[in-house]
Amino acid sequence: MIGHFKENMTVLGEITILSKDFLKCMFTRPFYWGRLYEQILQLGVGSLSITIVIGVVTGLVMTLQFGYGLAKFGGTLYVPAIVSLSLMRELAPIFTSLLIAGRIGSGISAEIGAMNVTQQIDAIRALGTNPIRVLVVPRVLATVISLPLLTTLSAFMGILGGLSIAYSEFSMPAGFYINKVLSSVGLTDVFGSMFKCAFFGFIIAIVACYRGFQTKEGTKGVGQATTWVVVTTSIVILISDFFLSKLLILLFD
Amino acid sequence: MENILELKNIVKSFDDKKIHQGLTFTLKHGETIGLLGRSGTGKSVLLRSIIGLEQIDSGEILFHEQRLDLLTEQQLYPVRTRISYSFQNAALFDSISVFENLAYPLFEHTNLAEAEVEKRVMEALQMVDLTESRDLMPSDLSGGMQKRIGMARAMILNPEILLFDEPTAGLDPVNIEMVIETIEKFKAQGISGILVTHDISTAKRVCDRILILNEGKIGFTGTVDEFEGSDDPFVKSFLL
Repeated sequence: MIGHFKENMTVLGEITILSKDFLKCMFTRPFYWGRLYEQILQLGVGSLSITIVIGVVTGLVMTLQFGYGLAKFGGTLYVPAIVSLSLMRELAPIFTSLLIAGRIGSGISAEIGAMNVTQQIDAIRALGTNPIRVLVVPRVLATVISLPLLTTLSAFMGILGGLSIAYSEFSMPAGFYINKVLSSVGLTDVFGSMFKCAFFGFIIAIVACYRGFQTKEGTKGVGQATTWVVVTTSIVILISDFFLSKLLILLFD
Repeated sequence: MENILELKNIVKSFDDKKIHQGLTFTLKHGETIGLLGRSGTGKSVLLRSIIGLEQIDSGEILFHEQRLDLLTEQQLYPVRTRISYSFQNAALFDSISVFENLAYPLFEHTNLAEAEVEKRVMEALQMVDLTESRDLMPSDLSGGMQKRIGMARAMILNPEILLFDEPTAGLDPVNIEMVIETIEKFKAQGISGILVTHDISTAKRVCDRILILNEGKIGFTGTVDEFEGSDDPFVKSFLL
């Protein structure tokens, strides 16, 4: 038990050191703009379709369930506000972040892990370059930039999905739905959600990079690393979401 | 000849396993040393220690009288442009082409224009007889070709010392000959080298001096002639 705790504390310490090195490299030259652009395309743009699907489906299901559930109490009119607020504040950030943890987090750790076991990380060092600058900075920044944008898109698509169900199933006029959404969702909700996702993006990418650098034992190690990253980042996202939500409510509500 | 690299009393262990127990030797300018020894005697670890990819427990590593073992990772980066390492498995970046692999150190450490980078890359490819491979991906190359590209990448910044980690391991005789010719070309340019190998004929052909590691210490050091003429049963066991 104590050994396990010490091991976890060591991992936390090492991730903190990597984060510190990341910040140091981010604000010093050289900065790889080309690599950042490449990573945004690969990690961010590459996740567009799945993000849209998740957003639309969540909006459809939420509106359907709340619509029929609240109809029993004559509360169908509240559906646009409930769906849009829950999507913007919680569901879109959490679902998108968990999805990205699975897609991008595992991808980053597998890529860096494979580079590690084939000595490509050593080659970067042996060629007089810093692997944190070359590999970590572009990936972490790309995830921090992409995830909030993907989440906002996901929430928007969810609200649109909700509109289609509200119109077709509950005969709610589109103008009424949109009006209710606009009066319920404020800019603080949008920026709060983006802030949370920037934090989640940082956690996903830095943990994935860390585990990639720690990968040993060949392909077996790469597999273990990806599983560890998805499980760890998912737990961290879910737990930290509570505290970040509390903080945002304290600040803006 | 002046000493370019000096290793003094190097001690290195992994947990309880002692790898090096007081290694001392020097590499002179323009000299090529063959580092022999049974598997697990720490030959590759020694090469990695020289450029700081592994940290030694104690001892001194001096490059032009500068203590490398005291430098931080950051401080070692410029040193690694002067001491290059050719990996046993080539360690080419598998997501970029051969050309990009060779251009990478140039873009990182020089301000050369693209045309000049291209010229330098082509010269390096010419040196290893692989100009036609410039646009191929590393996965399209054979093991021998990968090793030669790895060597070309290691020498592209014109280092003073090249560290070769088993350059002929696992290669057929034709590829071994090509690798040897490449090392001879580097040698002709006056680049010093340390060659870790199990291939005695390669060591005899390209090295000026042979060092044999045994139980963490240097079991033999001498010229190739002294190596071949030794009566020591331990040395003779390598010549069988």
